[in-house]
Amino acid sequence: MWLLPLFLAVSGAEGDAELVLRLQRRDPRALAELYDRYGRVAYALILRVVRDVGTAEDLVQETFLRVWTRAQAFDAERGSIGPWLLAVARNRAIDYLRSAGGRERNSVEFEESEHPSLFINMEQGILASDRARRVKAAVEKLSASHRQVIELAYFEGLTQTEMAERMGQPLGTVKTWVRAALKNLRDQISTAEASA
Amino acid sequence: MNCSELRDHYQLYALGLAEEPERSEIRDHLDRGCEVCMREVKQARELTAMVASTAAPLVPSPRLRKRILAAAGAESYSFGWAAGLAGVAALSLCAALYFAGRERQYFAESATLRAQTRSQDIELTRLNEAFAILNGVDTTVTTFGEKQPKPKGRVFCNPSMGVLLIASNLPMAPAGKAYEMWVIPKGGKAPVSAGMFQARSDGTAMHTEMISMDMSNTAAVAVTLEDAAGANAPTTTPVIVAALQ
Repeated sequence: MWLLPLFLAVSGAEGDAELVLRLQRRDPRALAELYDRYGRVAYALILRVVRDVGTAEDLVQETFLRVWTRAQAFDAERGSIGPWLLAVARNRAIDYLRSAGGRERNSVEFEESEHPSLFINMEQGILASDRARRVKAAVEKLSASHRQVIELAYFEGLTQTEMAERMGQPLGTVKTWVRAALKNLRDQISTAEASA
Repeated sequence: MNCSELRDHYQLYALGLAEEPERSEIRDHLDRGCEVCMREVKQARELTAMVASTAAPLVPSPRLRKRILAAAGAESYSFGWAAGLAGVAALSLCAALYFAGRERQYFAESATLRAQTRSQDIELTRLNEAFAILNGVDTTVTTFGEKQPKPKGRVFCNPSMGVLLIASNLPMAPAGKAYEMWVIPKGGKAPVSAGMFQARSDGTAMHTEMISMDMSNTAAVAVTLEDAAGANAPTTTPVIVAALQ
């Protein structure tokens, strides 16, 4: 059930290439369609990070306008616009969180991590795929400490040193947890894919 | 560094957790168009993108769609009710000024509670892991430090669940340092790190590492004092050595 909104949000992902071409031609209906496909996923992600409805809506708007103005740089044939849009959304949210918390902002890194060229040849419709469900299931199976480090990294953008401070644990322990969590995720997904 | 040396760092890079020098090395490989690194980073980014799906599904307000389309010049707002809206906005502003301070206070309190809950979750998990080892039918117990002033305690080993260390008279580690537990195989093979921990101010410590153990080939469990970032091999004389029977 948890994936139903995700499926609805990204249904028709196979038409992403055509949608990107229309965005590049500045077709206003393409922006509306983009929002209908990915608006709920982006909103859920941003709200999970900033935990404030008003701020989340502002950042969703910023995300879609950024994609709207940068669509020209995107490779319509080979690019996967969903993961790109979510990378932009996550960066906007974490940038806000860092700014509000007086933490160091790293706009250069954000520019780098959301560059459209990085989202070439990704699986089309990846967010609605069986793999996304396996990732969700794998994250839920992680121990509390392993799940927490993954969530602190993804949803709050904390470094391993910042996680150690937040959790009151030695840096080495946090590093061990991060590596073990990522290994568990990969192993569980591989096992699930092998048995599928 | 070559690509195989960077293999364990692609996922950290995609998650924004890679450290120097690996981070710069991966960036250099990508800048050079290294096919191996580009493929590995792409796969890592796919996994990272899918973590977004773990956020609880939520539906934004319908007005957000209109706002975005209007801001992009793709749709106009209707201003027929502009005067009424202006009045409502003025009242809302007054209310917002009053409630803003209270909201900040509630937000701070809820953040504190969330942090406490997370800490308690971790502590509960540790205790559950410890009890699982203590109650294991094939758990063996080894006592250490009986004939010395400090530290003293017991090591509980279970082949399928891992190691539980309970110690007393263990001084707190200096700033920037932490204790690291090691499983020492027989035959002079390299010790295997079994996680890091801190001693409490009363000198007690409990540490659990959930690993599978080959008991017939394990000589001892030991503890050394290391940098807080951890070490790949013991760098100091062990403060605890529990020789397994």
